[in-house]
Amino acid sequence: MTDFSIIGKSVALIDSAGKTTGQGKYADDLSLPGMLIGKILHSPYPHALIKKIDSSRAEALEGVIAVVTGPDAPNKYGILPVGHDETALAVEKVRYVGDNVACVVAISESIAEQALDLIQVDYELLPAWFDPEDSMKAEKDWIHPQRPNNIEKDYHHVFGDPEKGFAESDLVLENRYLAGEVTHAAMEPHSTLAAFEPDPQTGKPGRLTVWSSTQVPYYLQHKLSIVLEMPMSQIRVIKPLVGGGFGGKSEVIPLEIIAAVAARKAKAPVKITYTREEVFWAHRGRPRTIIDLKTGVKKDGRITSVAARVVQDGGAYCSYGVVTILYSGALLGALYDIPNIRYDGYRVLTNKPACGAMRGHGTVNVRFAFESQLDEIANRLGIDSAVIRRRNLLKPPCITVNNLRVQSYGLPECIEKVIERSGWMKRKGRMLPGRGLGLACSHYVSGAANSIIRSDMPHSTVNIKIDRDGGVVVYTGASDIGQGSDTMVAQIVAEVLGISLGRIKIIAADTDLTPIDIGSYSSRVTFMNGNASLRAAENVKTKILAAAAQKMNCSPEDIVMRHDMLWKRGTPEPHGKGAEAVQILEKVDTPRGNVQEVSGRVEGQILRGSLQQKRKEEGPKDRMSFEEAVVSAIDFSGALTGTGSYAPPKDARGGAFKGAGVGPSPAYSYSAQVAEVSVDEDTGEVTVHKVWAAHDCGRALNPVSVEGQVIGSVWMGMGQALQEEMVWKDGLLMNPGLLEYKSPSSAESPEVETIIVESVDPEGPFGAKEASEGSLAATIPAIANAIHDAVGVRLREAPFTPERVLAAIRARKQAAKALEITRGADPSAPKVFREHGGSLWYKGKGPERHPDDPARKNGDKALAGD
Amino acid sequence: MIPTQFEYVAAKSLDEALSLLGKHKDDAKLLAGGHSLIPAMKLRLAQPQVLIDISRIKDLSYIREEKGQVRIGSMTTHYQIESSDLLRRICPLLPETATHLGDVQVRNKGTIGGSLAHSDPAADWPAAVLALDAEIVVAGPKGERAIKADKFFVDLLTTALEQGEILREVRFNTPQGTVGQSYVKVRHPASGFAVVGVAVNLSVNGGKCQSAGVGITGVAPKAYRASGVEKALQGNALDAKTLSVAAAHASDGVDANTDLFASGEYRRHLAEVYTRRALGTAVSRAK
Repeated sequence: MTDFSIIGKSVALIDSAGKTTGQGKYADDLSLPGMLIGKILHSPYPHALIKKIDSSRAEALEGVIAVVTGPDAPNKYGILPVGHDETALAVEKVRYVGDNVACVVAISESIAEQALDLIQVDYELLPAWFDPEDSMKAEKDWIHPQRPNNIEKDYHHVFGDPEKGFAESDLVLENRYLAGEVTHAAMEPHSTLAAFEPDPQTGKPGRLTVWSSTQVPYYLQHKLSIVLEMPMSQIRVIKPLVGGGFGGKSEVIPLEIIAAVAARKAKAPVKITYTREEVFWAHRGRPRTIIDLKTGVKKDGRITSVAARVVQDGGAYCSYGVVTILYSGALLGALYDIPNIRYDGYRVLTNKPACGAMRGHGTVNVRFAFESQLDEIANRLGIDSAVIRRRNLLKPPCITVNNLRVQSYGLPECIEKVIERSGWMKRKGRMLPGRGLGLACSHYVSGAANSIIRSDMPHSTVNIKIDRDGGVVVYTGASDIGQGSDTMVAQIVAEVLGISLGRIKIIAADTDLTPIDIGSYSSRVTFMNGNASLRAAENVKTKILAAAAQKMNCSPEDIVMRHDMLWKRGTPEPHGKGAEAVQILEKVDTPRGNVQEVSGRVEGQILRGSLQQKRKEEGPKDRMSFEEAVVSAIDFSGALTGTGSYAPPKDARGGAFKGAGVGPSPAYSYSAQVAEVSVDEDTGEVTVHKVWAAHDCGRALNPVSVEGQVIGSVWMGMGQALQEEMVWKDGLLMNPGLLEYKSPSSAESPEVETIIVESVDPEGPFGAKEASEGSLAATIPAIANAIHDAVGVRLREAPFTPERVLAAIRARKQAAKALEITRGADPSAPKVFREHGGSLWYKGKGPERHPDDPARKNGDKALAGD
Repeated sequence: MIPTQFEYVAAKSLDEALSLLGKHKDDAKLLAGGHSLIPAMKLRLAQPQVLIDISRIKDLSYIREEKGQVRIGSMTTHYQIESSDLLRRICPLLPETATHLGDVQVRNKGTIGGSLAHSDPAADWPAAVLALDAEIVVAGPKGERAIKADKFFVDLLTTALEQGEILREVRFNTPQGTVGQSYVKVRHPASGFAVVGVAVNLSVNGGKCQSAGVGITGVAPKAYRASGVEKALQGNALDAKTLSVAAAHASDGVDANTDLFASGEYRRHLAEVYTRRALGTAVSRAK
């Protein structure tokens, strides 16, 4: 066991004081002199041509400064280079209810809202597509003319010889699984403030600064540059505190572009903050997914072949869709040893808000299907659920059949731990009626080995500057969205330099100040920005050691840096002054640390200049304080700075086939979970009593943060498993609010016992891998498998709402009283998406629609179909 | 969202409140806890010009037993009912119902009268007062009148209260003899309101049901007395078969609500299952 000072310690997040006292600033807290408010007019139709927009009455309203429409900024953009299909505001056409049509900029929110009612838009309605399998058959009225049959992208991958694998198997299972659509529901709604400085030469809008709730400030800078036709160097994006992302802020959201376009037209700063309903329309969540899964196994449970056909209901724009559909296939690999894989993936466009990246991007729904089916296979073969998983383990280091490189692999230990802690061997099969245990596993990437825009550029770069008094400023592009990346960076730098956390100040996610980092998504930050921070710290440490070695009359290798001190290896570890400094700095680490204590760290009362003076008069010595060493280095080089960067190694970047770029990662996290549930057989209500969640994060740099991430993943997975679902009727979202769309919170949390497994990855910073996404995907199938253990029904349609569970129970028990609700619906053998909520058949009346709206007829048809 | 502008007046007595209500008529709304009214105002579904706060009228906050009747003032908070020793002893149904209501903050501030006067189809109190066959006493410009609970709830968010009237008191006969009561509920996962809530008040003599009161909320546009269930229990031995047969009448003649969480059919099913359970619990307590 390596002896660390601050790595592996559960230190409080360094930005927690501001957040808990309310002093921290989120985007909507910001204000500028002369700032105006923007409000967006949204489309009431799912698919329509815009014939005319008359905004003259809105513009005439007192207090309205400008009205912006599509032609003000018609350049197309999108998060993926292959998916530039969005415009700031609709040009010619709207594609979903909620699509952005116009933006009013006014001196107040209420005036802007009033003005929205005065804009007259003439639409010509088009047939709309709501079901992905219908949409794929569309012969005309395509949502984007350049995407025939409304197929955004389809992939057909074959690895090994799947047919041969099935032929050699003893048992083949084939099932359809459906997963409903879910969204991030981050606590903070999106908000953007955009301001131009007047150009000193022309007086026209010059440099642009944008403060935005984003996970990807550098991508935002890039897309703003495309739409506004400005060089990136003229655009500064600053990420203030962000109140949760989960992927919902991992691409450019319409308001971010609209605010900038509006600020340019209004010649004043403009802020736009979404209402909760607008957040639901902006969406970019996890798509409704149809998974047709076929698995072949030998009698002993060894998997011989897997074939999956996946159809994703992607909504009206590409967003991250191409990546999502690729992850769904690629992450069939790297968890178990599967020799043969066939994958057919279809990302389909429909007239609904765009789906995008959401925690566990692309893997969650397929993992639900896979782990459910594997459990069923185990049952059929009479093999224990844990045993069948152990029989299919990878033997790392290895390259999977679909070209994924696996090195550290804590899955066996994760399984071991949850089996042991849950009392699986003793309790499984011996529980009270209606109570059961379920096991499932999952994994996730620690960042994508290939960035969205393919290049050899490092994915993260970090700069460090050290001041004469030993204050360390770290400039990192990493976007802290609440997950704690600022603290992660500070801990790594503190460990490398052997200093206290209180010395470190983090400047993060400001495109003018911080070197490029591609963003907080795909769980890449700890691995990649952590490695860049580690290298930057090592770079500057080399300089400090070189200077200190001169003073100490030894070689740099002979110097130990720790406890804010440097000393010759072999001499006694220093106490006294150095130790005092540590104590003081620990006080500074707390939010209430005051200035007097901070000044105390410079050798009692000695000022910097005199300190330097004093040291010059002394001869060689065995030890120095960190400040003394820093002063020596600055005397030597003038400035003390370091840089480090990280690019994933070439051998981790995957194969050469079309679509091979998605899935490869320098390292994968692993999870195993056991859920204990009870099911009310009379009503179908499911209660989760406890979840044992083991997660292999390589090394837990901050264990309490890792536990928080794992617990949060379990909640989010539990929400998708039991209650969260976006409900559609005629393309309208029926539950665009948190009273109707309910995510579990701490109040609804079962006991979650987290178990951290440390496989110590050879390439991760101090061995660390991702911790925030991999656990989520195991929760849904663990609950599904536990429900089966409890009452013997296999739920293949998520979420497992009481009504669905009851219908599945009734469908199985032929003798039991037939219920109206079960007629034609069996969630253990689902066929197509219905327009439903937790109730199987949504029979409520949707909001009023125009009688000529073709969506209405289409909707009726979809409602009737099974 | 923020509400439209309004005036706020805190009435010090019932008479003052009645006179203010008479003066402002439809422009005014009574504030009696505000857990339904304030959210409606924030959504601008309600836009009263004057809010008359009656929750501070001390004379309307009491729980007492007099002459074989229990009387509860309309501004008694949910928590006061939940924690009343008197009620726990003579009518535990009410404290039990209160524990299912909202959360601690809601129970500290919300009042039984405010809830009843709102007639939310998924509120908990209506089921309990129906099961107790309570009377709702209202004060108005023409004096007082008492309305039977099953006549008080008229429709969705509609009661028998007339223009200018204020709900003053809930009263009912003190349960006598061997009594078994219970309240069970399926909570909506987000709002905490009742998807189905069943309140039962049984009087038992020699193992047989002497009288039964069953109130059901959440299922229909308004809370109702399940008279089919009551009839099926009356005079019969309270065994599992009787309870099961009776529970099957839980939603007789009712137009069940449908929403995103539960279809009408499922609600009817839940009403039956939970009525059976509520009856079972009440019977087991009738000792």
